[in-house]
Amino acid sequence: MSSAKILRLAISFYIILFFAYLFGPLIVMSITAFNSAGFPRLSPWDCFSTEWFGVLVNDARIMGGFKNSLIIGIAVVFVSVPIGLAGALMLGQLSNRVRPVFYTLTISTILVPGVVLGISTLIFWDRMGMMFNAGYESFFYDGIVLTIIGQSTFISAYTMLVFISRLQRFDPVLEEAALDLGATNIQTFRKILLPFLKPAIGSAAVLAFLASFENYNTTVFTIVTESTLTTVLASKVRYGINPSISALAVIIIGLTLTVAFIHEVLKRREQARGIALKKEGQTPKVKSEPYKVSRKLFRNPVPVMVLLIFVAGLGTAWKARGYNVQQCKIEAFAEKRKMQEELSKKRSSEMKKKLEDQKAASASANTSETKKAAPGTDHYGSIFAPTNLEGQVESDEKKMETPETPKNQYQSIFAPSNLEGQVESQE
Amino acid sequence: MILWFQKFFGRNGLVLSLYMLLVSFIWIVVMFVLPQIFMFDFSFRFNWTQIDPSKIGGPEDVYTLQHYKFLLLGSPNNPDPFNIVDVTVFARTILAAAFVTLFDLILCYPVAYYLAHVAKGGVTRLMMLSLVVPFWINELLRAFAFRILFGEEGTINNILLFLGILSQPIDFVRENIALYTGLGYAYILLMIFPIYNAVESLDRNQIEAARDLGSPWWRIHWRVVIPFAKPGITSGCTMVFMLSAGALALPQIIGGPSSLWFTQIIYQWFNTGSNWPRGSAYAVSLLVICVILVLLFMKIFKVKFGEIGR
Repeated sequence: MSSAKILRLAISFYIILFFAYLFGPLIVMSITAFNSAGFPRLSPWDCFSTEWFGVLVNDARIMGGFKNSLIIGIAVVFVSVPIGLAGALMLGQLSNRVRPVFYTLTISTILVPGVVLGISTLIFWDRMGMMFNAGYESFFYDGIVLTIIGQSTFISAYTMLVFISRLQRFDPVLEEAALDLGATNIQTFRKILLPFLKPAIGSAAVLAFLASFENYNTTVFTIVTESTLTTVLASKVRYGINPSISALAVIIIGLTLTVAFIHEVLKRREQARGIALKKEGQTPKVKSEPYKVSRKLFRNPVPVMVLLIFVAGLGTAWKARGYNVQQCKIEAFAEKRKMQEELSKKRSSEMKKKLEDQKAASASANTSETKKAAPGTDHYGSIFAPTNLEGQVESDEKKMETPETPKNQYQSIFAPSNLEGQVESQE
Repeated sequence: MILWFQKFFGRNGLVLSLYMLLVSFIWIVVMFVLPQIFMFDFSFRFNWTQIDPSKIGGPEDVYTLQHYKFLLLGSPNNPDPFNIVDVTVFARTILAAAFVTLFDLILCYPVAYYLAHVAKGGVTRLMMLSLVVPFWINELLRAFAFRILFGEEGTINNILLFLGILSQPIDFVRENIALYTGLGYAYILLMIFPIYNAVESLDRNQIEAARDLGSPWWRIHWRVVIPFAKPGITSGCTMVFMLSAGALALPQIIGGPSSLWFTQIIYQWFNTGSNWPRGSAYAVSLLVICVILVLLFMKIFKVKFGEIGR
């Protein structure tokens, strides 16, 4: 019994750890958006501020990329949802010999690396443009059109999978009945199949938009001279980072949670309707009993979560009333400065002491130290020259911006192991 | 074949049949297969666009193997027996992708099992949702988050220094730890869902029977659950492997400065190198090797391709 308990405890611990891995990075990133420090970090915490959101909104490149991403995302929805639907319907009617081939081909669009898809799309339309002698302003060379095509190639497979799983629950008798009653094929499609697929169309559209919005690997090749949010972000993140990107992350996480929330509510409503329909016809299954019990407890976990976040936000806002960012910044700056001054004072007194020690010990130390440093490195031949020491003090001061770096480096300056470390850092 | 078309048109009517056929054709052939063929073709051509555009389509526009040779052997005056940089990067990319796949498998299998058989109703839904949400957030932003966490002055280093576990910050980015954790993170969902789908359809009675017959929990998994979930595990592994071998954003942002990912080399040939045919040759090589490895993997574990993605 106790071993089972331990096992269960271990499993729970593992699950918690897993979700910490899942959410930790996102939470940390979101918090850094509110730190006024110029580098996104949790500690040292400078001041609570929302200035990075302002920086973000005023960033013309990010905003331009965002606009393009929106356009591409919406276009991809309109391209890939009909394609996915056609693919799913097609799959259901193919003969047993052709179906695996068709399925393999469609699934391959997901498995082929996005980089390869982007390259092949780019080359194909480039060659097509050459074949038709099209000018560079035609759509063959238009980054946005190419991106829509390239992304739709694999996003259509996602939407197709959504439709397939919905179609599996479709009762073909309904269709046959409609046809028998004299409806045309198109009427049957519009009045029977489409209404049945409506939730799947919604899910597929959301999925397609999100997949398009976050895609980078394909986009970076097909976008040519334009830019999307992801390509702008990539170049920004690669060359120096600041918390305005965290601010963007906060916004996107917020939007994602909202979309997830709406999606969940709609799904629940649909499910409730399904349960109600089932109750009319047949007795409810036994299996749904435990589900119902916990449903009461967790009936709406998402709204609870959103409410909690909202309350927390309100709380901080209330606490921040009359809180002056500028004031805090000045204080933080002054504090930092004080800390640095203290440190440099301490350091210089240490240096002085060391110099005195050095004079006393120079006779004995000199012999042993030079022996160690001699092979090959004239660096250390003049280790006791006063200019050398000054250089070290300087380099030390550069590091002072980060006071938590270990300072005991200089307490044992003559330890041979220490010297080795310095050789590395100097190199 | 004709019979099938007759049946197809008879069942769906003209408009719908044309819609289905035409759209599927455009998708599979024009958007997917033809571009791959063109890329394949392009990888055997000289880089005339950069050297001398007037020669395109002329008598000198012939096929060549030079780009594949370059990948294997390097430039003609390369003193080494083979192209050490590119081949090493290639091998390392494949190995690292395999490692990430294994990491994700070990990480995700217990969670998938928990979701399918231990957790109940509302908890399952909540967990599912919290699995999906991080997946919806931009890949770049996820990479950025890992940079904040793993930077030299990042959160993890700060915490470890504060707790006194470390005396010196570890450069996680240079050691590629940040990259592997980030890649593993990015594809968790692709590993969990196939395994979950497979495990979920396992009849609980089988587990109960094994337990009643005195099997310890690990043997139940080894002999009952894992064999049953094999198709799901394989499809999850395939997806994670392919996607992490083809990842570009994460290696660019949190990869160590001294170690490249193969996709980065492809990217360089396209952007700074301006040698599209060579870039395509590299891309074709990556694709072909990955597909061969995946097929081999499936052959070993006796799983059919049609079972993927379900």
